[in-house]
Amino acid sequence: MSDATNIGSKAEKRIAVLFLAPALLLLIIFRLIPLGWGFGMSFTDANNAGTARWVGADNYLRAVNDPTFQDSVANTVILLATMPMMVMLPMLLAILIHQGVPGGKFFRAVYFLPAVLSSVIVGAIFNVVLRYDGSLNEFLAVFGFDAVDWLGSSSTALGALIAVQLWSTFGMSVLIFMAGLTTVPEDIIEAARIDGARFWQRLWFIVIPSLRPIIEFVAVVTTVGLLTNMFGLVYVLTGGGPGTATTLPEFLIWLEQGKLNRPGYAAALSMFLFVMMAGVAYAQIRIMKRNAEV
Amino acid sequence: MKLKLTLTSMLALSAGSALAQDLTVWDWKSGDPATQGYYDSAKQAYEEAHPGATVTFVVQPHDQYYTLLGTAFGSGQGPDVVLLHGGSQTQSRVGALSSLGDAAAGFAGVDAFSVDGTAYAIPLTIQGFVIYYNRALYEAAGLDPDAAPTTWDELATVCEAFIAQDAVPCFAFGNKQGFSGEFFATLATASTFTDADMAAWAAGDLPWTDPKVSAIVTLFADMNARGWLQEGANSTAKFMDEYEMFMRSEAAHTVGLLSDVAHWKQFGEFLGDENLGAFAMPVPGAEVANLPFTGGIGWAVSASSENQEAAQDLVKILTDPTREAIFAFDTGALPANPDVDTSGLSSPTLTHILGLMTAQPAGMAHSVMNPAVLEEWKRQSQLLLGEETSVDDAIAAMEAARLANK
Repeated sequence: MSDATNIGSKAEKRIAVLFLAPALLLLIIFRLIPLGWGFGMSFTDANNAGTARWVGADNYLRAVNDPTFQDSVANTVILLATMPMMVMLPMLLAILIHQGVPGGKFFRAVYFLPAVLSSVIVGAIFNVVLRYDGSLNEFLAVFGFDAVDWLGSSSTALGALIAVQLWSTFGMSVLIFMAGLTTVPEDIIEAARIDGARFWQRLWFIVIPSLRPIIEFVAVVTTVGLLTNMFGLVYVLTGGGPGTATTLPEFLIWLEQGKLNRPGYAAALSMFLFVMMAGVAYAQIRIMKRNAEV
Repeated sequence: MKLKLTLTSMLALSAGSALAQDLTVWDWKSGDPATQGYYDSAKQAYEEAHPGATVTFVVQPHDQYYTLLGTAFGSGQGPDVVLLHGGSQTQSRVGALSSLGDAAAGFAGVDAFSVDGTAYAIPLTIQGFVIYYNRALYEAAGLDPDAAPTTWDELATVCEAFIAQDAVPCFAFGNKQGFSGEFFATLATASTFTDADMAAWAAGDLPWTDPKVSAIVTLFADMNARGWLQEGANSTAKFMDEYEMFMRSEAAHTVGLLSDVAHWKQFGEFLGDENLGAFAMPVPGAEVANLPFTGGIGWAVSASSENQEAAQDLVKILTDPTREAIFAFDTGALPANPDVDTSGLSSPTLTHILGLMTAQPAGMAHSVMNPAVLEEWKRQSQLLLGEETSVDDAIAAMEAARLANK
């Protein structure tokens, strides 16, 4: 009996290894090796032509003193500061739809539509809307407002970019919140209603606390999106400008690697972005683990 | 069985020998229907000269070209032959390119593809900047279309006439990706830089506080402050929103090219040759306005190619008089090969441009700038257009960028 158990255990281990191997191999080949490669490259002056020389921490020191990189980090901080809005808005819309507002199914479909469009297509659409001679300014002109260069002025470009990002991603968050809302216990809400709790009270004291795991999940997913998926919008809408007003680390990495032919420096910038992302991933793992225990 | 093995081996060997001369070429032009005659002719000529071998042209997106090429060069698995822009785009990559010896001797603009006198690409076209203007709009504004501006003051008079008329902006201007700023670095210096200045500039030794250099910033800001440029330039793409605006007769001038796109042929087809004119950009302090030009695009051989000899043969075919003539006549580009007969390229504007190129030639300052400094100038030019920085601050930022990238 004991032998049989041991044999079964070994077989299970082999099967487990067999199942894990493809994912593990993919992770090693496409994630860990490039990460190590990039880390090594970040200590060189690699320029895709000729031999790369070891330059120690020069690229990191340069990045710290690079005003463009500093601006890109500052832009990222501003971007992340909008995260509460990017979480709260879809949550409120999901609650309204869940409450059964007229046309709820229609709104759910319409909200989700932008989520299936690529960022380049979204960018192209809003380029037509937001450019100086675009449809938004034409609309405002009807009411006597002067034209604003939404994408060409430092005071509005990042805000415009954030608004477009919100438009293009909030539909997915609405769906996640709607799924979460189905888990809120109806009997507790009903009991609160019978006890005289008003809509906002039920929302604040029952619904939102019940949605806490969903809110945290959406916050993590939104943060990851803001840090890594803005390239298409930046590329199409503003090209990182005017000046550095919409330059984000991922766009700067692309610029340094490709146009400026400095992959060594780009690798160092990538390491900074990786550290930021690692922090988010760590928070994500902790949140998921805590929620799993709830 | 033995016979079968022998035949198989022979077939494999012959295939291997053909494969040894099979070439892969990267560019961003071969997807353009207007260039098909050129590419078909080159492919046919190469494959006739190398029986059994084939050439594969792989078109890459222009805006991602150098990112993709950098990755390919970095891996050592790149194409055999590549199309490159002249200036820093070639000169910063010579470590990944093969020397072409004297194969480029005599070509116009070969300096743009050379480092220390060694050519790393053979030029296909000549590229330069010229101000194109709409003659019909000149007449509508009460200006003489045959008297194009030759001095800064004359240009000011012309632009003031358009501002007074308030129908179209004096200049169509697209600076979304900073290209108008980039072009202006060349326009502002073409008539004032000496050869020594250009050499010092290319080496990064000319400070931005030098009056000849700071003129790039001051003139750019001055043109904006005078209202010569279209509104919303920072959200207008030069390629092709600005040029489409000019072709729709919605602006009097544009800074256009000599080859590729946005040139005399394209504008002439839209506006009519009789409505198109061109002049070199005048700047204050220069007696004559020079026309800046250099090698535009050229063909290079990757150092990692295993077929060096065959690749160099292909580059020679791609730039021989027959092929460059096809390219020039089909696309309107100016050929770099001096043996191409350009007499068939006829347009009053082109004739005038060719005259300027002969009488008042100048170098292209932007094409030899350090790419990182140029990128910073693009940013500063956007801030100047939005009046979000001062001239002094922009000059200080540019000088800091020069020193950081020297």
